[in-house]
Amino acid sequence: MNFRFGRSFVAVAALVAQAPAAQAHIVASRLGDFYAGALHPLTDLQDIVLWLAMGVLAGSLGAARGRWLVLVFPLGLLAGLVLDRMFGVPSAGPAADAGIILALGLLLAAAARIPTALLCAMAFGLAVTRGAANAADFAPETDRLLFAAGLAGAGYAAITLTMALTLAFRRPDAGPSMEWRGIAIRAFGGWIAAIGLMMVGFAFAS
Amino acid sequence: MTVRHSIATSRVLPRLLTALVALVLAPPAFAHEQAGVGGGLLSGLLHPLTGMDHMIAMVAVGIWGAQLGVPAIWVLPITFPLVMAMGGVLGVLRIPLPMSEVVIALSALILGAAVAMRLRLPFVAAAVVVAVFAIFHGHAHGAELPGAANPLAYGVGFVVATGLLHLCGIAIGTLTRWPAGERLIQGLGVIIAALGGYFLAQTLGAVA
Repeated sequence: MNFRFGRSFVAVAALVAQAPAAQAHIVASRLGDFYAGALHPLTDLQDIVLWLAMGVLAGSLGAARGRWLVLVFPLGLLAGLVLDRMFGVPSAGPAADAGIILALGLLLAAAARIPTALLCAMAFGLAVTRGAANAADFAPETDRLLFAAGLAGAGYAAITLTMALTLAFRRPDAGPSMEWRGIAIRAFGGWIAAIGLMMVGFAFAS
Repeated sequence: MTVRHSIATSRVLPRLLTALVALVLAPPAFAHEQAGVGGGLLSGLLHPLTGMDHMIAMVAVGIWGAQLGVPAIWVLPITFPLVMAMGGVLGVLRIPLPMSEVVIALSALILGAAVAMRLRLPFVAAAVVVAVFAIFHGHAHGAELPGAANPLAYGVGFVVATGLLHLCGIAIGTLTRWPAGERLIQGLGVIIAALGGYFLAQTLGAVA
């Protein structure tokens, strides 16, 4: 009995000793740089406000115009990332970022009917500047491909979800009883413009 | 032995209870001030809410907009934050406004009176009145922005809190659909005007 117990104990001890460390979180593997790329813009309020404003603006213009951003916005982020690595794109600066927030907010508040080509150009330009801004924090050991994939994935998810939520909220075909939803989106644009205006003032003050 | 034990227990138990009560009632220690995005957002959100004169004036704007009906009810929430931000920029740039505290107190008095009397000004005149007050309120908030833990987060918090106060006022204003609700709102206007009068007297040094 004791002999069998001793053998079992040794076998269990050997198995425990040989067990490799559990990789429950793949951040510990090289895929960590993917998450670094995906989470990097979400830790910066500047990115969050700008992406949100762009997504709501595109969503407020309807699915036919907004759907192009699903492709254009992530590609712009990648282009910004690549351009910054190759040529070192200078930072737009806080005044320019605040000016973009103000402009997007005003367009949303005014319910401006922006043509699809112009909307795509605006989204691409914004994505290039934010892609370059996110590339500034590359560490030498960062896997650039994984970081870029993470950033583009986050951009795709954020812009698509924001546009979809705006479209679902607005319900333009629901009739006059739902008109207040369009006004709520315009009021949201007024809030974004107010934030942008204050930040423009702050940028000039400091 | 038993007697000694019971004496020890009778001494220890009250002390233990006292220590327990003191522990439970102890307030949390705030050794660290709010910092970063969280700190900026919190200070921005709380700034319009902690100043009673600001808060009642913002709610009164929403109620008055609802009383005035279309287009004021929807023009107000779209344009007010923007006009307020213009005042905020003046505050950020340290451009002084004359008698700002007096005008802020006066805004609560006048807006409260407008709600109480169901004042039906032409839309443009009402917009001008509200815009002037918005600039003074924004100036007071904007002056705090450069010292915030995170200026952008402060701006987001302050604009969201102000917008939500307007929405609160508009929601209260929808009570005008019912006669009893209209009287309730007019009563609220009287309270706001009275508080505004008190703040005005306080600013002018008439009361402590």
